[in-house]
Amino acid sequence: MMMARPRLRFTEVQLLIAPSLLVIVGILTIFLVPRGTVEWTWSDIVVSLGFVALIATISVTFSLVGFRGDQVLLPITATLAGLGLLMIQRLHPDLTALDPGYAGLAQRQLIYLVAGFATLWGSVVVFRRLDWLCRFKYTWLMISLGLMAVTMVFGTVINGARLWLTVGPVQVQPAEIVKVTLVTFIAGYLEDKRDLVGSSWRLGPLRLPPVPYLMPMALLWSASLLVLVRQNDLGTALLFFGIFLSMLYIASGRLVYVVVGLISFGAACWGAYRTFGRIGIRVQNWLDPWQDPLDTGFQQIQSDYALATGGLLGTGLGRGEPYRIPIVETDFVFSAIGEELGLLGTLAVLTLYLLLVLRGFAIALGARDGFARLVAAGLSTVLGLQTLIIVGGVVRLIPLTGITLPFVSYGGSSLLTNFLIVGLLLHISGLPRRTEELRMSR
Amino acid sequence: MSAALRLLAALGFGTVVAYGLAWRDGISDARWLGLLAAGWLLLLLAAWPRLPATTPTFNRTALHTATLIVTVFVVLSVQLVRIQIVASRATVERVATDPLSAEVIANPRIQIDDLEIRRGTVRDRRGTILAQTLFDGGVARRVYPDPESGYVVGYFSPLLYGKDGLEATYDAELSGQNGNNAVVRGLDDLLNRPRRGLDLDLTLDAELQRAAHVLLADRPGAAVLLDVETGAVLALASNPHYDPNALFTASPGERDAAAGYWSSLIEDPLSPLLHRAVDARFTPGSTFKVLTAAAVIDSGFATPDDVYEDNGQLDVDGHIVVEYNRPDDTRDAWTLREGLAWSLNVVFARVGLELGPSVMRDYAARFGFGAAPPFDLPVIPSQLASSPEFVDAPPALADTGFGQGEILATPLQMALVAAAVANDGVIMRPTLVAALRDADGDAVRGGEPRPWQTPITADTAAQVQDMMVYNVESGIAQAALVDGYTVGGKTGTAETGDGDSHAWFIGFIGEPNESPRYAVAVVLERGGTGLVEALGVGRDLLVAGMEATE
Repeated sequence: MMMARPRLRFTEVQLLIAPSLLVIVGILTIFLVPRGTVEWTWSDIVVSLGFVALIATISVTFSLVGFRGDQVLLPITATLAGLGLLMIQRLHPDLTALDPGYAGLAQRQLIYLVAGFATLWGSVVVFRRLDWLCRFKYTWLMISLGLMAVTMVFGTVINGARLWLTVGPVQVQPAEIVKVTLVTFIAGYLEDKRDLVGSSWRLGPLRLPPVPYLMPMALLWSASLLVLVRQNDLGTALLFFGIFLSMLYIASGRLVYVVVGLISFGAACWGAYRTFGRIGIRVQNWLDPWQDPLDTGFQQIQSDYALATGGLLGTGLGRGEPYRIPIVETDFVFSAIGEELGLLGTLAVLTLYLLLVLRGFAIALGARDGFARLVAAGLSTVLGLQTLIIVGGVVRLIPLTGITLPFVSYGGSSLLTNFLIVGLLLHISGLPRRTEELRMSR
Repeated sequence: MSAALRLLAALGFGTVVAYGLAWRDGISDARWLGLLAAGWLLLLLAAWPRLPATTPTFNRTALHTATLIVTVFVVLSVQLVRIQIVASRATVERVATDPLSAEVIANPRIQIDDLEIRRGTVRDRRGTILAQTLFDGGVARRVYPDPESGYVVGYFSPLLYGKDGLEATYDAELSGQNGNNAVVRGLDDLLNRPRRGLDLDLTLDAELQRAAHVLLADRPGAAVLLDVETGAVLALASNPHYDPNALFTASPGERDAAAGYWSSLIEDPLSPLLHRAVDARFTPGSTFKVLTAAAVIDSGFATPDDVYEDNGQLDVDGHIVVEYNRPDDTRDAWTLREGLAWSLNVVFARVGLELGPSVMRDYAARFGFGAAPPFDLPVIPSQLASSPEFVDAPPALADTGFGQGEILATPLQMALVAAAVANDGVIMRPTLVAALRDADGDAVRGGEPRPWQTPITADTAAQVQDMMVYNVESGIAQAALVDGYTVGGKTGTAETGDGDSHAWFIGFIGEPNESPRYAVAVVLERGGTGLVEALGVGRDLLVAGMEATE
């Protein structure tokens, strides 16, 4: 990255006041609730202050190294991450009371956040050559497929889905990092073969897509389906498939790919639904969890209770009982926000994600380099899709799938990857812009 | 794409959303999602960016993708509005019972609330406590001191089986969500005082309820005693019954005992959880003849002295009604009065045919058949027949006339039939809860007696009253004769179709030459033809009611 002389990122600093206040006022509110007086413990306050120090450090160092990129992404990310931290701090005592295994949850989340922000910082300040990503695109493909295969074979099943890989003492979710490697590969490949993929084979009056050049795409399409069937994970399959389809469309501009892809994926989902009983259970829980309220529908019903209890304004931080939802700290953290912060809270969170995604697309539109544009658009799509898939599942718009809410859910793999995505977007926003071209296109 | 089309699509989206949000109860989740999907396509149509042809591919496709994502976010927000605002109340209170374990799935927030609230006290008409909440180490414990009345109040089992009886129908008042002063409630919340519910004063009399159970002894059945002038229910007994104390659970430790008791109740073939007086229906048999007689007199078809032929059997389109009840087999002509007094089936088959199907249906509906009476407990509606057309067939109409056919009635309903006759043709709205009181003892809501139905004129009522008194004084119900009171009544034996039969008695009592005070209905389930037993229970309960008044 080209660095210039230091310049204060004033907009960013101003906007960062919001997440700083959020974590401090939020933790004090949580302490206020049980006794009516504020009695805090230093270990909790330190976590919140540590978070404020962390985002301040990132912003200040950006200013010091003269980074000229986007000033809005970091505040949005920090607000979401701060809210996530706050929810973990709020859920932590209740969850620990239920299961001592949850001890130190907030501290661990802060550690993940430190690693996440470090990744973000590194991909902006340390990482220099974006074209290096493009050059090794087949490596990314191999890594993506390899990680998917390894997970399918050696994966650990948690909560019914084979998403985890146990490496010594730590468990990682390879699907998370595959999101980034996949986007990188597809962007690199399509940028290389853009003219070919956009072209057609003429066969008499028919215009056929250039079949050989779409082979890697077909491979990825099958891999996503395999994820669905083998890992019992509709969410990741949907995410991979969405990345692949949207990038193909963005690069080629041909709606026919999207239509064919959607129809075939829909058909495959229907087939899987008819073949595998466990997918049928997901569909049942989606349409009517009350058919089996004690077992498979239990979690969804508890989430419905929490969201409905929240109403417009919510119960207030610390005053609800979201800890009654199983796995509230990851998949269902959105329901916890819904209960305690109400509809206003959930809509605010959705708005933040929407801003983040649109900002990402704006960065993509402004990028001069074709590869960078595709990467930025792809990564923005990833953030948008992932949010829609998990929130859509929680509010029962689509069948529930076990993926995380970016930046908010508890968990290391997910946080690191999403921070990497924002880091790459920031990096691309710092590259030379193509303002003239954009103006001409208007 | 034209601007008009966009506007139309946007309006379509708005309509779909408004419809889905307004008709939240009318549509299932699946249908709503289908609607929302259609709405989303309309929104997409309305919002699809219009770009000049010179736009580079990447700009165009990126904008399209962004638009797509934005529209899905909008749809997500609509769904959030639905589940967090529009349908939230129904969701928060939604409860399900697992059919196998009978375990209740309810909102834990409400369950926790239930254990912290000082629920209202329930008292009988003399002030005897029937249910109360005592605080035991910070936990509100629900206690039912009176073993014969507790189950009428219902059970309160927040962690397991939810609520039943008055505990369920008056839950909002007993738990203080409704009816209480909003300022007091806010103050309690602010000062962290346990919320107080409203107290219930019942019309029930624990003494009479106990008397009813002593009279029923160990026979399965039900007894209802009510004040005909006010509709106040003084006894509402169902045998066998359960002990609500054993279903209350404040801690997980009590769950096993409660669950064991519950499964014993569920497995008991006599269903002790069923309140037979309001929640079970029986064929009323000859007690229904009171209604048939009232109908034929009120409609002007006959008087009590009109003569009907009964020579031992009646052929209705090949369906033979056989008469077993004639006291004198050589006599073929009987007045309507004698028909009721001797419970002559052929006479009432003829009366039924005389009334015709539509008048029969009309009077049954006037007495409350086909609709549940407004009551403080859920009542299962009584029926004249499974379908209105049933009585169109003459044989069915003849059977219906003397109380067989497809008639099913709750004991409460039959008590109301007797009450109509006893109270100048007016059925007062039956009540169990006389008043609601706040913590200071001030009545928050008290019900004045209100009429429910007026099926017959006062004149008809007086004539049927006479007939029922004649039945006791000169007919087959002479065992109901009590010194010092005027008693009218009608016995019944209802064939159940499987060879067994229920024994019935309905009747009323009053001071001589005064209007009747109380009405009763007693059913002894599969009590055989032990007419005298059901009659005895009814008679003694009526007398106990009179004595309790004095």
